[in-house]
Amino acid sequence: MGPLIPNGIIPEQWDFVIAILIGLAFGFILEASGFSSSRKLVGVFYGYDFAVLKVFFTAALVSMIGLYYMDYLSWVDITQLYVHPTFMASAIIGGMIMGVGFITGGFCPGTSLTGVAIGKIDAMVFTLGLMIGVFIFSEIYNLISPFLTRGDYGNITLDESLGIPADMIILAIAIAAIAAFYFSDIVRGKVKKVFY
Amino acid sequence: MSKKYQLKKLSTRRYQILAAILIVLAAGLVLLPENPKHEGIAPNLFINKAMSTERYLSTDLIADKMINKDPSVLLVDVRSETEFAKFSLPNAVNIPLSKFLDEEFEETINQDVYDIVLFSNDNFMANEAWLLGNRLGYSNLFVMKGGLNEWFNTIISPKIPEETMPREAFELYAFRKAAGMYFGLGTTEVPEVKPVIEKCSCSCSCKFPCKRPGKSCSKRKKEEKCSGRRLLIYCCPLDY
Amino acid sequence: MEKEKKVKRSVYWNPYFGGFLLGLVIIFTFYITGRGLGASGAMKSAVVAAVDAVAPEHAESNAYYSKFITEEGSPLNAWLVWEALGVLVGAFVSGAISGRLKLKVQHSPKITAKRRLVMALIGGVLFGFGAQVARGCTSGAALSGMAVLATGGFVTMLAIFGTGYLAAYFFRKNWI
Repeated sequence: MGPLIPNGIIPEQWDFVIAILIGLAFGFILEASGFSSSRKLVGVFYGYDFAVLKVFFTAALVSMIGLYYMDYLSWVDITQLYVHPTFMASAIIGGMIMGVGFITGGFCPGTSLTGVAIGKIDAMVFTLGLMIGVFIFSEIYNLISPFLTRGDYGNITLDESLGIPADMIILAIAIAAIAAFYFSDIVRGKVKKVFY
Repeated sequence: MSKKYQLKKLSTRRYQILAAILIVLAAGLVLLPENPKHEGIAPNLFINKAMSTERYLSTDLIADKMINKDPSVLLVDVRSETEFAKFSLPNAVNIPLSKFLDEEFEETINQDVYDIVLFSNDNFMANEAWLLGNRLGYSNLFVMKGGLNEWFNTIISPKIPEETMPREAFELYAFRKAAGMYFGLGTTEVPEVKPVIEKCSCSCSCKFPCKRPGKSCSKRKKEEKCSGRRLLIYCCPLDY
Repeated sequence: MEKEKKVKRSVYWNPYFGGFLLGLVIIFTFYITGRGLGASGAMKSAVVAAVDAVAPEHAESNAYYSKFITEEGSPLNAWLVWEALGVLVGAFVSGAISGRLKLKVQHSPKITAKRRLVMALIGGVLFGFGAQVARGCTSGAALSGMAVLATGGFVTMLAIFGTGYLAAYFFRKNWI
């Protein structure tokens, strides 16, 4: 019955060992999928490489379908899983800032780490920038903290906010993702190739 | 060139199959019948809890809490309404076992404000109620050990300790005697309870030796149905 | 020349395969720990630890740092920090296997390495700031959030990519 550590099936001391193992797999997969290359990542915005879209949505779909099947089989209790809290204002504004940061810097935090690992100097500078960004945020936290809790919906999930059963949402996302994959291949065929 | 084309066709076919698998899996979630899984806690945790004796509270402890008017304790009588009407503990609430899972009582039972002490004539029905509640993951449920029978043995008519017994036994006796006075005042007399037991009309057998030598409890053994469930009642100690 | 490039590109995994494995890792993470992956949290721990080491009083008095400073142990002793170390090692192993280990600045031939680095720094600052505002980055908020259908995860994901597309036009010279 998962999740295993919160339910005490795996002792908590293993937490950090598991963290490293999961990180290993995460880093390996990101790097092997080409996410250590900023030009490959940014390709999704210019239509010459849709690896980000494909990896991202395939992973999201596999994980949500898998987790819901595991919940059905009682292998994991989905209500015990941590749901990222929704603060509407900060999710939108933070996401927009990250979007600009993504197109400017060419990485996101996880992928920049993989870039650092294989010696990309731009990734190292990006990671340094990340830390400066966190530092600036912390220093002006008092100024912006009232804004951060605007639109607090708590740990809400999509089926609760939309009032549609979770399985229908997953099916809709699966169809949308396959359509997106299909069109991304068409777009990619039309866009001038970029080699990197 | 044609080979390249074939290769492309092959990969297109491959992606079509993968897309189909994805859709089928996602649609499978929609089409699966309603989830058969249990609510409440995991079976292995449940067994651990069921085997543990932590749920039992002694009658002395409960009497103490009642005398001190401890607001964190809620006494719940799980016997039938008729039995409850005849006799129960002071301030007890009646939630018959047959109605234990009814919605109207859920708010009372499924909470974490009070400690709920379940009791019946003995451990049996209270234990059943405890198991039901715990299976659903309710917390703070306890069972009064020995039920009302034990209550009478210890609080209402405690056994006088023998002279060779340690001092604690006398202190306990004094406490029980005082508690008995407290609860006995005007409300219930022991004889009134007798019909309660007989009315319960369950298969009645003696589980422990009679207090009064020479009086066999098998005489009072009765075989009757009690709401379709056969229950064991410790009838013997009430044979005074 | 072009052929060589093509060979080089094909060493990356098929994105669907990578995505499938990544999905399995997310499931495994949720199954074991009950929460998802993350990356920006490790950066936050690093910053908190650094500020705490340089100016402990300032860290104590700041409302944000003080949330992450505990009596027992350094803020670096956090799940996400260990995970980030794993990411570094895992990526290094993958890069080593595929022969991609090389100290270099990757940039479009149209811009200089210096410009690329300046852009990377600005992007990093923005991303680091945005990740704190949204309480998670692409992996922590968007990807792990989407796995459990968290509304915030979807909103963040749409905001990141939507803004990325909107802003892409203005930054095209940096990339293509």
